[in-house]
Amino acid sequence: MSTMELSFKLNGRALTLNVAPDTLMVDLLREDLGLTGTKAGCREGECGACTILVDGTPMNSCLMPALKVQGREITTIEGLEKADGSLEVLQEAFMGEGASQCGFCTPGMILTATALLKQNPDPDEGEIRQALSGVLCRCTGYRKIVQAVKAAAKARA
Amino acid sequence: MQDKMQDKNKTQVLTKARTGLEHLIKTAGKSLTVAGTSVARRDDPLKVTGKLKYGADYPDEGFLYGKILRSPHPHALIKSINTKKAKELEGVVAVLTAEDVPGRNGFGAIIPDQPVICGDKVRFIGDGVALVAAESEKIAHEALKLIEGDYEPLPALFDPRDAMAEGAPKIHESGNLLSDDKMVKGDVDAGFAEADVILERTYQVPFLEHAYLEPDTTMARLQPDGVMLVEGPMQAPFTTRRNVAPVLGIPINQVRVRQIHMGGGFGGKEDSPIDIGCRAAVLAWHTGRPVKISLEREEITIQTAKRHPMIMELKVGAKKDGTLTAFQGVIYDEQGAYASLGPKIPPAGGSHVHAMVMMPGPYEIPNVKVDAYLVYTNHPYGGAMRGFGAPQVHIAHEQMMDELAAELGISAVDIRRKNAFKLGSATATGQVLNQSVGLRETLEACAERFDWDRRLAECGWVDQAKTKRRGVGVAMGWYRTSIGTNGDGCGAAVHVHEDGSVLLYSGITEMGQGAFTVLPQICAEELGIEPGDVRIVQPDTDLVPESGPTVGSRSTTLMGNAIILAARQVKESLLDTASMMLMVPTERLEARGRKIYDRENPGKSLGFAAVAARTMASGKRMIGQGWWTPPPPSLDGHTGQGSPYHVYTYSTHMVQLVVDVETGEVALEDYVAAFDVGKAINPKALEGQIEGGVAMGLGYALMEEVVLDHGVTQNPSLQGYLIPTMLDVPDIQPLILEVPNEMGPYGAKGIGEMPNIPATPAILNAIAHASGGRVSRLPADPEKVFWAIREAGGPPQA
Repeated sequence: MSTMELSFKLNGRALTLNVAPDTLMVDLLREDLGLTGTKAGCREGECGACTILVDGTPMNSCLMPALKVQGREITTIEGLEKADGSLEVLQEAFMGEGASQCGFCTPGMILTATALLKQNPDPDEGEIRQALSGVLCRCTGYRKIVQAVKAAAKARA
Repeated sequence: MQDKMQDKNKTQVLTKARTGLEHLIKTAGKSLTVAGTSVARRDDPLKVTGKLKYGADYPDEGFLYGKILRSPHPHALIKSINTKKAKELEGVVAVLTAEDVPGRNGFGAIIPDQPVICGDKVRFIGDGVALVAAESEKIAHEALKLIEGDYEPLPALFDPRDAMAEGAPKIHESGNLLSDDKMVKGDVDAGFAEADVILERTYQVPFLEHAYLEPDTTMARLQPDGVMLVEGPMQAPFTTRRNVAPVLGIPINQVRVRQIHMGGGFGGKEDSPIDIGCRAAVLAWHTGRPVKISLEREEITIQTAKRHPMIMELKVGAKKDGTLTAFQGVIYDEQGAYASLGPKIPPAGGSHVHAMVMMPGPYEIPNVKVDAYLVYTNHPYGGAMRGFGAPQVHIAHEQMMDELAAELGISAVDIRRKNAFKLGSATATGQVLNQSVGLRETLEACAERFDWDRRLAECGWVDQAKTKRRGVGVAMGWYRTSIGTNGDGCGAAVHVHEDGSVLLYSGITEMGQGAFTVLPQICAEELGIEPGDVRIVQPDTDLVPESGPTVGSRSTTLMGNAIILAARQVKESLLDTASMMLMVPTERLEARGRKIYDRENPGKSLGFAAVAARTMASGKRMIGQGWWTPPPPSLDGHTGQGSPYHVYTYSTHMVQLVVDVETGEVALEDYVAAFDVGKAINPKALEGQIEGGVAMGLGYALMEEVVLDHGVTQNPSLQGYLIPTMLDVPDIQPLILEVPNEMGPYGAKGIGEMPNIPATPAILNAIAHASGGRVSRLPADPEKVFWAIREAGGPPQA
């Protein structure tokens, strides 16, 4: 299969790659770019472990042809860490509240919460749950994840 | 609470066979520094940045991709498997059939009855009939399609009662009844004669899927030294190793198994890694190249272990005041196609016997009779899933308790108060609970925090239109620590280095429960240093002592004790050195806060690191090894009497919810869950187990079911198999109580599985209370709740 040129911004850096049209975004990130922070849990858009931000909007990368991100700004979990290695408020809050157990859903949860807090800096519990309902977690029962998002919102205020 | 003096008196008599003093680690009640605090999980920084590597994140250049061709029939003879076309496909390196298995063509956690590659017959649709290794996953997929299988279908069995019947086709040569177990205490006929009320009910629960977010994956390769290395997410490295070795026909010490951090396990990754590990190893053996097998989500549901479905028939008698007089039960426990973790490992191991022992619940009942049948069918097989048989029977006995209470006109809480275990109670196996029994305390604490009486009084219709009705529910539970086998021992090693840093060698695996944080805490507590000074090595069978699997809520307790013993051995050497350096007898020395000092003169101290350096320089012992086994379990093969598990964790849950009586939908509002855990080594991590477990129990109650039709899984993906989302799970309030376990590290006992167990029946009881509808065949999805309300003649009117 022939490849096509794809230009997009990834975690703040401009990239141009040659990509086969049947490449899925999750595989472009994980296999071709070595960014394994984005996970593949189900490959059918159900679990949210593959969540990335596309122009700030959380989307499942497992169903997304890579070529769809032409001209877009993509953020993966690797892109949250600041240049000096310090962590975002949400990342600190997840650690402080003990909101990660196996950690597999953590990147998807943090990215989705990042988008939520940008759009709604002081969400109530119902709004947090609604916004993050597309990411499944089998370990935590969600309670500490909700507490972490609340703590991050408070810290940023 | 407990009278500590009374406790100490009681714990002297442990077993008849031995003095049992070696089981007393004597740490309960010690004044602690780091154990008991919510130390942050050490791998958290890697999780929140996406840097933690799971099995699928490891680079796989040079690997071949393995895939398994599965049977199209639930029960059939194999006439031939033609692999010629598949072998000719470019990029295919190997296509293997049964004769290509180098050693034993069988694997299994208890009985190796599942073929690595089926040769003569297939027993369920997940059975493997050929293996492919190719240069890419895509090519491997294509190759599967080119394999031609010719089968002679056999009549298939999908209900354990049919499979047990006279003349039923044999699934295994040994017959379909894998196990027939009995528990008999007292005289149930006499018990029923004394009863004022007798209820008979049948409860039925389906196959469940673990649905861990991280799919199974494994990597196998032959090392340059000829050792076969198998790596991947797994809960049981040693069980995996003892299967791979005979499958390859080589000694155990020629196989190395290394655990990679799991994205969830819940018991499923106890034996799925044996399945794909053996198969990847066989492919690696044949091709001489590294092989990776990754299961797709649907393959996981179709092929790997599930929770055992059960049909449970109960007949229970009680007096007017609620005192239970007799319990009679029959369990039809559906094993599925292969034995996995169902059958008995003497005396009380395996999920089936465990379910039997737990069936009457945490209540004093003088007369008990349980018949428990474990039966093969042509369905996916039951393995280990969080609770290991206990969740199913709790769904039965906790609903029965509520039904009895309603029949007698007494409250659901009072009937439990009347019968619940206390210190000195005898269980249905005749085991006297002689220490660490906090069940009643959990009931009272839960009722108080939940404000049961007030909430009960406020239940009823939520809206004027009378479409939504609020109810409350309670359920109690108990769960063992340890697995009830004679071989439930485990070992640890603690190596102190010359700069005071420590390596901890333990085979307990991390799946998100926090073992890699809690076990170093215990080690640090014993040595008097910081948890951050202790690095726990990645479990590798080449490095760590035999530990047993990370299951059965045994890890913190059994491995914690082994670590304490190991730390004590090396500490002895260090204190010896410090004694010489400080000129103080060792009995006066204390190790605490990275110092070793004279208890009578704390100013006289040395740094831990300095003592370590001097100990090393003197050529003295720098490593300690510890081994701990619970007191020998017992369970009579005919009567089911004995002491199968040495200590239990106890719990009470209460829930408030609203049922939409027109649609059957259920919305949870409030939830309190109280636990007696002996000692919380890391309270925050323990809360996480509670909150996550309750969510899992909720799923069982309301939405989870693997749907099978003529042996074909109808909902193998997460689109069809629903697990709770953030919108389904309410805010959960965990309550931690501590009634110390004299045989646990600092008093601890297990917690991993207790939390999901009472959740399911608490929710079912609340649904019945709110709506009048009792769902006895799970899950209580909206359709079932709707019809249950209709069957009850409509919701309560008030």
